[in-house]
Amino acid sequence: MTTETASAVTLPGGEMLAWSDRTDPAGDGPLAALAARLVPAGARVLLAGPHGPALLDALAHARLTCLLRGYPDAAVVAGRVDRVLVAGPHGLPAGEEYDVVIAGAGLDAVESVEGERLGWDGLLARLVAAVRPGGDLLLRLDNPIGLHRLVAAGSWYAGRDDAEWTVGGVLDSARPANLEQVRERLASAGMRAGSCYAGYPRTDLTTALLAVDELARHTTSGLFDAVLHAACTDGYAGRFVLADPARLAVDALHAGRAADLAPSWLVLARRPAADLTDPDDDPDDEPDDTGDAARPLPRVDRPENPAPGLGGPAPLPVAFVADPAAGGTVVEVLHGPQGWHWHRTGIAVPSSSADAPYAGRALAHLDPAAPDGPVPDGRLLRSLLLDGCLRRDTALLRRLLRGYADWLDGQAEQGRLTGAVALAGVDSLVVDGDRWGVLDRGWRADAPSPVDVVLARALGRFATELLTGGYAHPWTSTLDVPGLTVVLAGVAGRDLDRAVVEAAMQTETAATPTDPPPGPRSYQQLREAWLRQREENTRLTALLRWTENLLTSRERALRRAEAKINLLSGSLSYKVGRLAITPARMAKRGARAAKRRARAAIASKQGGQK
Amino acid sequence: MHHANHFYGHAHVLARYAGLGDGHPPRINGYVQHGWNIGDGLAPGHPYAERTPSLLWSEQTRRRAWSVGRRNVTVIGAPFVYLLAMQPEEKSPPDREGTIWYPFHGWEGQHVKGDHKELIARIRDTEPGPVTVCLYWHEHRMRRVRRLYENAGFRVICHGYRGHWWKDTDPQFLDHQLAELRRHRRVASNRLTSAIFYGVAAGCEPAVYGDPMVLADEDPTFGGTARIRRQWPQLHGEQVHLPTAVAIAHAELGTDHRHPPAALRELLGWAYPQEETT
Repeated sequence: MTTETASAVTLPGGEMLAWSDRTDPAGDGPLAALAARLVPAGARVLLAGPHGPALLDALAHARLTCLLRGYPDAAVVAGRVDRVLVAGPHGLPAGEEYDVVIAGAGLDAVESVEGERLGWDGLLARLVAAVRPGGDLLLRLDNPIGLHRLVAAGSWYAGRDDAEWTVGGVLDSARPANLEQVRERLASAGMRAGSCYAGYPRTDLTTALLAVDELARHTTSGLFDAVLHAACTDGYAGRFVLADPARLAVDALHAGRAADLAPSWLVLARRPAADLTDPDDDPDDEPDDTGDAARPLPRVDRPENPAPGLGGPAPLPVAFVADPAAGGTVVEVLHGPQGWHWHRTGIAVPSSSADAPYAGRALAHLDPAAPDGPVPDGRLLRSLLLDGCLRRDTALLRRLLRGYADWLDGQAEQGRLTGAVALAGVDSLVVDGDRWGVLDRGWRADAPSPVDVVLARALGRFATELLTGGYAHPWTSTLDVPGLTVVLAGVAGRDLDRAVVEAAMQTETAATPTDPPPGPRSYQQLREAWLRQREENTRLTALLRWTENLLTSRERALRRAEAKINLLSGSLSYKVGRLAITPARMAKRGARAAKRRARAAIASKQGGQK
Repeated sequence: MHHANHFYGHAHVLARYAGLGDGHPPRINGYVQHGWNIGDGLAPGHPYAERTPSLLWSEQTRRRAWSVGRRNVTVIGAPFVYLLAMQPEEKSPPDREGTIWYPFHGWEGQHVKGDHKELIARIRDTEPGPVTVCLYWHEHRMRRVRRLYENAGFRVICHGYRGHWWKDTDPQFLDHQLAELRRHRRVASNRLTSAIFYGVAAGCEPAVYGDPMVLADEDPTFGGTARIRRQWPQLHGEQVHLPTAVAIAHAELGTDHRHPPAALRELLGWAYPQEETT
């Protein structure tokens, strides 16, 4: 890529002069990381449709051509890439081929309002024609019944946005609507589909790319659970939705349907080499379900330009994760001989500091070297605890929470915890039998904390989620968040006082059980919060009525007792008794006064002597 | 607080365990199950405020209570379990001897139908050692009934008055019961009752035999004695398989559900006590 001189912006026709396809820069990191793995140095790359700055940075080692329909977008990338074509798909010069073609925003964003419409298959055919034999196509496809649709407050078919000059939906049989169909279309277009990634949490924001085959294989993976939950909670924060997208995503994972419900997919396909004997093109080398393009291009035809840092063809990563709450860099999860392990890419994730879990609290810092090393296996503690609460399996809860507290004890030095462990909550701890591990999000505690404080904080956050999320649980509705935290600590075998819990949770946002949860404003959860309030009102009204009745009965008993006392105090025996006692009481009072006077006299005498 | 929470000094035991001392226990925000039962854990006929927490002994009772429409039901375990935690058995306890026998009683408003003499003969035939008969307070006050057992050569005791409307509750009721149970090798009754489970938890071998003495106006809602025999046949008989009995008593008393003091304070609404208890 040339950066010294502004790249040529050409307008071969069909451009949209005032149109811009703006993308969320936070959503581009995972795609950029994947592209960086696919594109060797010096490769010719066509970026068809809008792509964010992270992708351009990640592909700085390649020769980039951008095909954009909006002129303002071209103005932004001009100077950062080799060539910019502002046009519809017809503007792509015939006969021009690329090593890699990336349509990371899908095919719709390639079509212009100007000129003849090609339709989905026509657009695919146009892009496929631009892939050299043996080259790769990375194609994004939106899921018409993805999670984003299931939780959307608005209907997809109303289509009021500027980009919806036509509403392409699932009713249009010309466009593929699931992964199987897209594979068939690719095959028809002469491509061999390979690796496929599920993109979460929205179509317009992809902060997590998870390998589809791995999602189906590891339905209880703590890593996937945590990544999906965090992506969907952060990705829908402040938005009005029908139901909690994080719950739905994690449920889909457990049902083996996380790929089917992904808002979008990225499919990697390779154009078979017509005359090259590329060993990687032999279908027998590849697993059945991943196809040919499961490994990056080996570039045997350009040995002078090996893919940087890859050390030869290796399986593509299991996942690419950008954590906007944590910031830092896009993190990959790679296959290794010992299982999955973390790998940091150099692709920065813009951090939304307001959403960062420890922002402004001077409690923690991000470790630039984290995460690193193996990804711990196991199920996510949060899901296990929620399951235990829902099924009222208190034996399971005891085992888990005691195991957790004991594990914290084992990690502590002189009763204090530091580093990632001190900040890890139930949303980042995985359990596999007796083995515990932290899914490192990079945060490190600034100061060591006592085990009790760490335990109280983690359980307090879980208690908040349990109550505000409206989850059924084994305890009474009369418990507030600190109260439930104390009870959970009790289940963990720790007799934590309320004061310890309240002190540990000072830095947390206070919530009451009848509040809806923070994050997405979900209709279901708002309704649940309203139901909780209504139940609480019912309870209090019934209690008030009962208390009033009891008060009436106790007042009656008191009146009876007073009447009895009055009756007795008016009786002859009482009066006689009183007459007999009165002189004795007066004598006692006199004796006390005399004693007091004598003491005072002695004291003043002693004072005078001194 | 519901006055039934004071029965048998339950509130007192819980307050002591919760670290609130020996004084008058503060109000409990809920209803503590006051005896083993086969229903929803609450005593039939008592008025209860809707959705006020039911604090139950066992998970099975919680499920049953939920299924009959109770909500806000949670398991805390029996107060007796809290007493056991405060008074663990000595390392080398004195030798146990004989049987403590609990003839089934009704409460004050109920009248037991059955033949005490027949029962006495059965006890004599069955029990190998000395027998202590523990009568419910109102039977203990009935000279005729008490004499029947005394004349049979049994030691006759009463653990105390369970109390009514906060009056005359013996706060040491369960303490007395635990002390007596620990003196005996066996615990027996003509019905499966709380006392049998307490006895098993206190280390006695249980037995349930003899005429179950059906109450004149027994509430059949939850199936009565017939259902008890159907559901827990393994606990009936002159000899009972001890490990089975121990496991069932463990579950029915909710031993594993015992909370530590701070958690108990939260569950009973005692995090901010309303009154001084010392």
